[in-house]
Order: sequence, then structure tokens, then C-alpha cells
Amino acid sequence: MSKVFRRSAAWYLIPALGLSFLLAGACGDPAANEALPGNAATGEELYQKLCASCHGKLGEGATALRLVPWTRGADSLVEVIDATMPKFDPSRCVGTCAKDIAAFILSLESACEGPSFGPRKLRLLNRREYNATVNDLFGLSGPSGASCSTDGDCDVQQASCIGGTCVADPCNMETFIFPTDKQYGSVHVAGEFNGWPGTIAAGGYGMTYVPAKSLYYVKRSLQNGTYQYKFVIDETNWLPDPANAVKVPDGFGGSNSVLTLGCDASGSPSGAYDWAKDFPVESRPKGFGYDDNVDAGLVTSIHIEQYMKAAEALAQKGVENIGKIVPCDYNADPTGCAQTFVTTFGERAFRRPLTAAETTKYTNIVKGQGSFVDGVRITLQVFLSSPYFLYRFEIGAPKGDGTFALTPYEVASALSYSLWGTMPDDLLFTAAKSGKLDNAAGVSEEARRLLKDGRARDIVGTFASQWLGIERVLSADKSASLFPGYDGAERQGFAEETKRFVTHVMFDGTGKYPELLLGGYTFANDATAAVYGLPGGLGQTMTKVDQPAERKAGLLGHGSVLASYAHSDQSSPIRRGLFVRETLLCQEFGQPPANAGGVPDIDPNATTRERFAQHTSDPACNSCHQYIDDVGFGFERFDAIGKYRDTESGKPIDAAGNMNDVNGLGTNTDALYSTLPELAAIVADSRSAKTCFATQVHRFATGRSESVSDLCALRNFEKSFEANGWDMRELVVSVLASDGFRIRK
Amino acid sequence: MKSNTFSRRRLVKGLGAAAIALPFLNLLRPEKTRAAGVAKRVIFFYFPDGVPGPSQNGEPSLWHPTGSESNFELPTALSPLLPFKNDCVFFRGLSMGATDSGSHPGGAKKLLTAADGGNGESIDQYLARTVGKSASWRHLYLGAMANQNNASGDKHISYPSAGQSITPEDNPRKAFDNLFGSIAGSGGSAQVDPAKATIIDNVIDDVETLRAQLGSIEKSKLDLHLESLREVEKRIKSGGVIPAATCDSPSIDTTGFTDGELYKDDKFPGILKSQIDLMVLAMACGLTKVGVIQGSVHTSELIMSRFPATDMYTPNFDMRSHQASHYGASHDLAKAELKAFLQQRTWWVSQFAYLLDELKKRPEDNGTMLDNSIVVLCTEVCDGNTHMHDDMPFILAGRGGGSISTGRLLQYGYERHGKLFVSLANAMGDGLSSFGDSSSGPLPGLVG
Repeated sequence: MSKVFRRSAAWYLIPALGLSFLLAGACGDPAANEALPGNAATGEELYQKLCASCHGKLGEGATALRLVPWTRGADSLVEVIDATMPKFDPSRCVGTCAKDIAAFILSLESACEGPSFGPRKLRLLNRREYNATVNDLFGLSGPSGASCSTDGDCDVQQASCIGGTCVADPCNMETFIFPTDKQYGSVHVAGEFNGWPGTIAAGGYGMTYVPAKSLYYVKRSLQNGTYQYKFVIDETNWLPDPANAVKVPDGFGGSNSVLTLGCDASGSPSGAYDWAKDFPVESRPKGFGYDDNVDAGLVTSIHIEQYMKAAEALAQKGVENIGKIVPCDYNADPTGCAQTFVTTFGERAFRRPLTAAETTKYTNIVKGQGSFVDGVRITLQVFLSSPYFLYRFEIGAPKGDGTFALTPYEVASALSYSLWGTMPDDLLFTAAKSGKLDNAAGVSEEARRLLKDGRARDIVGTFASQWLGIERVLSADKSASLFPGYDGAERQGFAEETKRFVTHVMFDGTGKYPELLLGGYTFANDATAAVYGLPGGLGQTMTKVDQPAERKAGLLGHGSVLASYAHSDQSSPIRRGLFVRETLLCQEFGQPPANAGGVPDIDPNATTRERFAQHTSDPACNSCHQYIDDVGFGFERFDAIGKYRDTESGKPIDAAGNMNDVNGLGTNTDALYSTLPELAAIVADSRSAKTCFATQVHRFATGRSESVSDLCALRNFEKSFEANGWDMRELVVSVLASDGFRIRK
Repeated sequence: MKSNTFSRRRLVKGLGAAAIALPFLNLLRPEKTRAAGVAKRVIFFYFPDGVPGPSQNGEPSLWHPTGSESNFELPTALSPLLPFKNDCVFFRGLSMGATDSGSHPGGAKKLLTAADGGNGESIDQYLARTVGKSASWRHLYLGAMANQNNASGDKHISYPSAGQSITPEDNPRKAFDNLFGSIAGSGGSAQVDPAKATIIDNVIDDVETLRAQLGSIEKSKLDLHLESLREVEKRIKSGGVIPAATCDSPSIDTTGFTDGELYKDDKFPGILKSQIDLMVLAMACGLTKVGVIQGSVHTSELIMSRFPATDMYTPNFDMRSHQASHYGASHDLAKAELKAFLQQRTWWVSQFAYLLDELKKRPEDNGTMLDNSIVVLCTEVCDGNTHMHDDMPFILAGRGGGSISTGRLLQYGYERHGKLFVSLANAMGDGLSSFGDSSSGPLPGLVG
């Protein structure tokens, strides 16, 4: 039983403070409230410096007690701080300091009484969003699957016609393309890879003309490396590749084109072309595991270069199939058709109708070029490099009360990017136009519709990978001598397993949080079944299977989690313990002390658990490690790649531990377990795990970490989450339909 | 706490003003004084997890040189710099301040921003948009395994705006394509592509319209966006990137690793070497003046015992950088961690030396590229075990076009490292007078 949670006492405090706030008319500005013992704004600064590292930045508790709600009255809080805090040096905060910090802590609770909204922001499309968006915008569904009779019927740059179907080319297949309206006697490729032959007979790669696409092409498998090459027309006229900007002098006063191939042998061909593959990777602020952080979306000049290159290639695709994006006869009425193209394409590119000024501007760009097609080509590139395309707007329009409501079109984008990772579809645009997205009911209805689509499954997989931090299973180094054969297939299989499992729970299972830990099943293929000791015969396809008894712990038994949170050559009780605390329970720890030791040396005569015993025997370490090691030890039956083991260094494994203070550090509760499935059951049953899941969904959807002003919203999500029996789909709907999602200040 | 260095520099300055000081100058300065010039370029070279500095038990640093300003010895850890001793300036007493002292992320945030919590623009970004903006690329940020495992933002050291770092490019081939395959064209075509000009003009117009609409909302984000557009606009409107005469057939050797091996520890030395080569190439071609090379990230998981053909190589034991950095409370050379840590640090220094050598090989003006450069070696903490932010192990190389006298050990009682950055900016011809938190004025005695 905790000493902190005296709900009955809290009841007195909360409404009383909230009421005085309302009377003072100063919601969100606790400093103005005379009922507080000091200045909460000053207190916040002091708190973050002196208290947050132990008590959490919002008083939620970390290595020290949860402070919110404080139930023992303002005077006692001031006294405690004045006399005993901060623990490391109580003299650092006395008098006014103690009063101000107390005011801040008390204001954390009362903040719930007033409305609180996030900032107005521009959210830069990340790589996956950019890619999905341009594929939708141009109706590019990826190169595979379409029926064909020649390569020219496929997306020739990236697919070949095999057995009547377009199939994505493997990574080392290079496609040379020479765009031209004119057909020649012959065109071939000559370069360092084939010894610069002057004729096709001498080994030149003869190119095939595709009249419908006005291009010559040829495909060849090439070894990784850097090659110079040229196109040769009619075996006499040597030209550099007009579509390749990388050139070097050829020694004859002209240029050779330069091709660099760096193909990863373990990489499999992806379904669709990745337009954003050369964009810079997203920055992910510390403690924010997602690729959509709103403040990290900065545009450097490399971004500009890459946006313009992608736009150039996409515009080429656009004009190759111009009827798809220009829904009118431009020969009959060039001006009218230019405007029609601009308004229809523009509305989808900017994800809102264009203003009159924008329509004029963009129509003039179309008209200002040599031909209509050139006009469309240039205009498409402007659209795709415009900030109105590259940013998702969460700016809103003034409501008159100092807050800003996102426009219906901004809401439509917020919904589609949160649930599909791409631009709105026609129905969502229609909903925006009709006013349906102005209220929570309409937003809920649309959110439910979007959730039923396959794209929502993809985004849940993406969310799960980033939430759980398991993308690292694909690259985390493992010792080849200890784990021979651990390879791309196992890594890919593990990553896919977790995506498939979370998606399955969400959409095909109960949809309820505990199933993530208690489901008892998972997905495996031959590669992962071998690691798990399951029967094979599954092939490469992920198949639903029962989890082996020793790892019937839902996500906790996944190879992705076990291998991501381990070292190259040994398990890591620390990382695994922190995974449970920080990722699943949102209980965050500060940095270890400066002179903390590294990982103890491998000792052939000791188990990992024995080697880590120092943490729990040394009091300086124990203040944090009492919460970490005893959780991480629960995973000790699984080695650095997630394979089951009975013994280590010839000794039996002890995987018992204590999932203490599961619902809040400093609450002094014990929960003993002896196996990983038992540990999983404790986590599944805890309130913290579900609250944390709601917090994680909120982070992913809003693109930012929660701040003090989100506390109340998060508590409301928690309440409705509970009322719906921890149904994750309902949670997502309630987050997206909340006022906080639509209103900014 | 003015050091001897400071007062002596003042003396020199006073004498110089009286125009009778030449004999003294030659005695006092190990290197001949040149006419005060301006550094043409700056490169920051980062490695993770600190050095064997003063130990927790108080033993003296195994990293810092000892001796006087002009007469000093390099410790074994710095042995790869012996051939470059007269090209370098070594420091004692540079501090990053007390905030977050003891922390890797806290140190990494302050390292180039000189601002607590990374709450300021970093010096490389400042120089990029001031003295660097006359180049085709204002800034080049190259990494080696610096985005491994989705490294969090506190592990990256370049901050275009307060509190927000950006990610480096970890793939030398992509970085090469970015530079030499610009949308603006390359190879000396010197013809403006009217379509590209139309596109960028219209995009700039959209950003300016938007910025005016939003006022203070997201201003710094849009300012950076606009500056980035202006940089590309300049490239487009100058008819593509025209490499310098020394820059025929640009190429770098990237044969040792594939794109799928960018995060394989045993490939790290080859990847880092390619990035160093690319940085030197970009500078030699005059494409940029400001560069940052980030080798790995703080609290590094880099398994340096996998580096083939080095003294660190141990086939059956994985020694990570951060693991070795926690070598214990004392300099116990019998400990495997300290032995590995020293080997690792010496390896990093040898990579820095390789960078210096590549610059020194290339003639420029009446000297070498190195003479006209400033190259800064840095890491986010001093001692790898205590993580203290005092006595930071910065090493500077290059004469900055004659603005810096090298071959010296500058020993301060306590100076904030932001002053070093003020001095760097001054050496590049920028009039910066203070930088970051509590760093007013240049570092006494460095430039001039």
C-alpha cells in the first residue's frame, strides 16, 4: 500500500485549487493565484533544475516519489522541501525557493482544471510520409503486380516484366534510361563495366526503345562499385547520360557519367520505389523514439537538393502519364486547362484548396513555359518543393478566445498522417469540405473509417517498431563467433514478427492492451522458428504460432526485443530492465553517475547475474538499479540474440526477480516473479503500462513529448482507455478526437 | 586567474605596437610570425567518450602535453601527432562549465554550442552562415556510424538553432553524390538552367509568403528553410558548381564497404577514412569552408576491438568504446579497459593525423592547405571515467592562414571553451565577440 495515493485527501485539494483558479480567471497562469505558497513560474525553473531528475519532469515520479497529486497540504510540502530537499544538498533550496517549487508542484494538479493546448506548428513530412504522399499524389502504387507483355508496360526504371507480371528489380539490377522522342538505328551503353565497346557486337549493352514512354532502356546486373559510362548513338555519337548529374571529364573535352552501386546483399527488393531514400535521416530527440518529431523537422540545403531531385523525377513520371493529373484538353483550352490542373492537383498537393493568389501564381507558371507539357513539368516541381506541400500545417485559425482551431483541412491531414502515414483520401477531403471535421463526433467517425483501412495496419506496425525501439534489431551488431548464422533472415523475421503481432492484436485480436503481453501466440517463419526452437516447415512467410512455454510473455518474448536490448556478445539485464521501465511503463531514469562502471568483464566462471551483483550491493548504484536489474534478470533465460538457454557458464540460470513499484517508483510495492511469463503478467496487469501506452500514442500522433499542459489530457485518455477495457483502437480514436488534437494556442 | 600565457601575449602585443619587437617575437614564438592572414576553412573532428584525463583518484592526465608553451612533450596517447607537433596548438584549462558536468549528453550538447543544454546555435553553423556563406555549400556534416541505432538528437553536435541538432550523412557515397551531383549541375557547365531558376524562385516566393503570414510562429524553422533555399539558389544561378582547377575528376575510394555495411564495426575505419577523404576533397575543390566530421556518438557502442589489423583487434572479445572509457578510478595500466582505452584514443588521434597529413600534402598559395586551415579535434568529456567538463582535450591544428602561431602548449587556469570559438571566428575574419554562455572575448594569446 502506498503512502502517496490518499485519494480521499486529494479530493479536498483538487477542486479547491481549481475553483480558486477559475475565480481568479487565471487558468494556465498559476503564478497569479494567491492560494499558492509561491511563484509557480519561478518554481518550475527551480524544479526542473533541482528536482526533476529524481521526481520526473512533471512530478510523475522516477527514482524518487511521485509528487502529483500531493495530498498532504501546501504547508507540509513547503516544509518538506525546505528541510530535506534536494536530497543531495538540502541547503540548495530553502525559504522562497521551497515556496516557489511547492507552488509549481501544486499547480501541476490544478492545471487540469483549465484548458491547455499545444503550440502552433509546421510538421515537416518525414521520409516515409513523403514517399507515401507522392505515391498517392501521382497514383503510383509501386512497381509490382501489374500485368504486362514487355518491360515497357511496367515502371521500367524499377521493374521488369516476368511471366506476364511486373516484378520489382533486385537491388543490383541497374536500369539505364535514355529519354528521347527520336528513334535511332541503335543506342547502346558503353563503360568501365563492359570495356567501352564501340559497337553492340563488341559487347555494348543494346538499348530497347519504348515509344509510349519516349525512352530507350537496358537492364544489367552489375557488381557494386563506381563506373564511368556513356550512351552511344548509332555506334558513332558518344553522349553522357542526360539524366545523371554526376559527371567527370572524359579526357577528350567531354564528360563521362558516373554510376556508383552499393547494393546490400541482404536487402530484399522493396515493393515500391523509395523516392526519399537519399533524404537525410530524421533527428529523434532524446527520449522521443519516433521519426515525426515536430521540432526536429528542419530543412537543410541537402534536403532542398533532394526535394528538387525527387521532384524532377516525379514530374517526369507525371508528364509521362499526363492524362492522370491534367483532367482536361489542353490543346482546346490551354488557359482554362492550366487553371484546372493547378486547382485540382494543387488541392491534393497542398492538402487544402488553393487561394486565389496561389491559383493565379501557379497557373502563370504553367503558362510561362515553352509548352503546356513543360509548364506542367515545371509547375509540378514547384508544387513538390513548396513549403505548403512539405509541411503539414497545424497552425489553425483564431477562435476569438486566444486559441486557434485547426482548419478542417489541417484536421484531415492530422488524421490521415496519424493513421495512414500519408495524405487524405477523397472521402477525407469531402469530410473537410462539408464541415464534418469541425467537431469531435465527425472526427471520431472518420478516425474509425481510417482505422479499418489496410494503411492503418502499416502505420500500427511502424508505431510498434518505433515505440518498442526494435528497429535496431536489423543492425545491432552480434558476435559472429558466438552466434554463427545469425543473419539478415533472422533480423528481418524478428522485426516483422513484432509488427505483425501488434497489428494482429489491434485489428484481429481483442484490440486490448493486455493481449500484447498475454496473447500466448506470435508469428514466425523458418528463420525465427529455428531460434525459438519451434518446428520448421513455415517457409519465409510469417505464420501464427503458439509461443513456446518459456517465452509465453507476448512482446517480452520476441527476438526483436531480446536482441535489440542486449550487447553483441552477452545479454543485458540493464537494457532489458530499462526497456520495461522506460518504454513500457514510461518510468524514466536520469543519466548514471559520472563514475559508474561499464559492463563487468565476461567471466567464464560466473553468470551474467552474478557479474551484475555489484549494482545491488553498492548503495550508490542501488538507488536506481533496484528498479532496473531485478526486472532485467527476468529475461536471463534468453541470450543476446533471444535464444533460450538453461545454463550460462555451466551454471543454472536464475531468472527470478521483483517487478517492484510497477505503478510508480517510490510506491514501495513488491511483485515477485520467477519466470518471464510471470513478469509479463505483472506488467500486463499494471495501470502504468496502460497509461504509458496512451502517452506513447499521444507522442506519435502529436509529434512531441508531453508537457505540463498535456497532463490533464493524458489523464482523460487514461480514463476513457480504462472505461473501454483498455481497447487500443478506442484509445486512438479518443486521442485523435480530443480537443487538444484540434486546438492550439 | 590570468595565466602566464595571457600576460606574455599582452607583452608581445605592446612591443609589436612599438615596432621594435621582432627579435623578441622570434624568441617567444616557436613558429615564425606571418603577416596576419585569415583562415580559409575550418574542420571540426569529433570522436566519442573522452580521453584518459586526470583520473578519479587524482593521477595526472595521460592525454595532455606537459612542459612550457614552446617546450613541451607529447604523451604516448598523442604520439601520432609527433610529425605535426609544430602544426598544432595544445591546451590546458579549457572548461565547458559546470552545468551537466559528469554527463556525456550534457557535454555533447555544449561541445560546439558552448551553451548549456545545447540551447544555442553551434559554432560550425554560425560560421557556415557568416564566413562560410560565400562558398557553394555553407556546411558539410559527415558522420561515420553516427546515426547507428537511430541515435538520439543529443548525440549529434551540430545545432542550426537553439536546442535542435541535425543528423550527419553517414554514407560517403551519398555525401559525395550530394556534393558532386548537385541539382544545379556540375562539371563546369556554367550555364544557368532556366527551369531550375524558375522553380527555385517560385519556391522561395512561397516560403517568404508563408514566413510573412506566420510572423513569429515557427520563425527559426522557416528562416533556416529560406537560408537553405538561398544556398541552392546561388548554386543554380551561378550555373552549377564549378570545381576549382585542382578539382578535375573528383573521386574518393569507397571500395572497402557496401551501403549495407555502413554500421558494421569492422568497416568503420574504411568508412571514416572515406569521409575524411571527402572532406579534404570538398575543401580542396573549394566547395565549402566549414566542415564537421563526427566519428561515432557519445556513450559509443562502437566495437573497436573488431578493427582489423590494429593493435586493438581481439577476435573473441568485444571491447566497446564506452566500455573501455570506464577504465576505473585510477590509471592502472594492468587493466584491460585502460589498455584498450589508450589504444583506442591513440587510434582516433591517428585518424586526426591522417586528416592533417592529407591537408598538408596539398600545396596551396605559398604553403599547404593545412597552413590555411583550422582543424579542431574534440570530444564531449575530458576523462572518460569521471566525465568532467574541465580541462577539455581540444587540439587545434593549422596556422589559419597565418593568424595562428602553432607548435605551442597554451595553459590556462580556467577559460571557457566558447572563447576558443570566438578566436576561431576571428581567425576566419569574422568579428564575433562572444559566443555561447559566459564566453566573452577571444581566448587570450591564441590568434594574432
